[in-house]
Amino acid sequence: MEVWIGTSTSWLAAAGEHGGKEHHGPGFWGLVFYIGLVLAILFGLMSFAKTGLKSRVFTKPTLFGLPVLGAFEQIYLFIEQLCVGTIGAHGRKYVVMIMVFWMLVFFSNLVALFFPTAPTADLSFNLGLALVSIGYVQWEGIKANGLFGHFRHFAGPKLGGMLILISLIIFVIEIISELMKNVSLSLRLYGNIDGGHRAADAMNELGKNIIPLGGDTGLSIPIGAFLMPIKLLTCVVQAMIFCLLTCVYLSLVTHHEDEHHEEGHGQPVPAGAH
Amino acid sequence: MTGNVLGLGIGIAALGVGIGLGLIGYGAMGGMARQPEAIGKLQVNMLIALAFVELVFLLTVFIVPGSLR
Repeated sequence: MEVWIGTSTSWLAAAGEHGGKEHHGPGFWGLVFYIGLVLAILFGLMSFAKTGLKSRVFTKPTLFGLPVLGAFEQIYLFIEQLCVGTIGAHGRKYVVMIMVFWMLVFFSNLVALFFPTAPTADLSFNLGLALVSIGYVQWEGIKANGLFGHFRHFAGPKLGGMLILISLIIFVIEIISELMKNVSLSLRLYGNIDGGHRAADAMNELGKNIIPLGGDTGLSIPIGAFLMPIKLLTCVVQAMIFCLLTCVYLSLVTHHEDEHHEEGHGQPVPAGAH
Repeated sequence: MTGNVLGLGIGIAALGVGIGLGLIGYGAMGGMARQPEAIGKLQVNMLIALAFVELVFLLTVFIVPGSLR
């Protein structure tokens, strides 16, 4: 019983970022290394995909048989559909920013599959990403509604007389919730990626305890490797959720009253739709 | 003693979040089966809802042990 309590508190302490010897995130220079790695992968793939664009006969370049440019095209189409579907017809101009977010988060998550840690397994990197995302949302809101209009948007509906006090309270609450969006975006990403690492660690420990292959050598079956498929799924889904929530926040602040009128006539009706 | 209480609390949180995630999946699957042409929109909204419910558990795991210490 004593042992169980001891291990459980140490595990919880590790989850609460106050553990003893366990590593928490990559640290500063580790973070520099991993972000550099992610950027090198991204820029390398993109510069490779760009090679075929200027040739007379357009051929999609492949790397070891993998269609790099085709993959980027598919990502672009996916992000464009995400933006237009979530924000509306004027969402196409945000595709660039959302795609940068998607690729940065996705490749950082992919690094987590092959390396002991990753940029997105560090809370500071995620908080930076979330600050950029929410700052961009505020910037777009100010651009769409003007500075005063954007801040009036926080105060809720227009109320007269003494009800202006309620507007004041709503304003304060909305500002707090706007700040909390940073926390929710960053903590979600950090919890999922770092939680995946901890789960794989725990499974490996399990394998070491249950089936000790090498005895003293510490050789064991890495049961945590069986978590790889679900970690890959988490990578894609978390990158998508980060972009999706940024899109939702963008659609909230750049919402126009005449949107429904535009949507009714602007969207071409698909042939199969009834 | 705190170890016991914290473990139990996290277990309860996981229980509730599991039920919530199941309900979201249940609703989304039912909707998709009834209306296959709305799968795209349903999937996106389902993922948003899943993310919000999941965040509750993450907040529990990261914040409660720190505040109880």
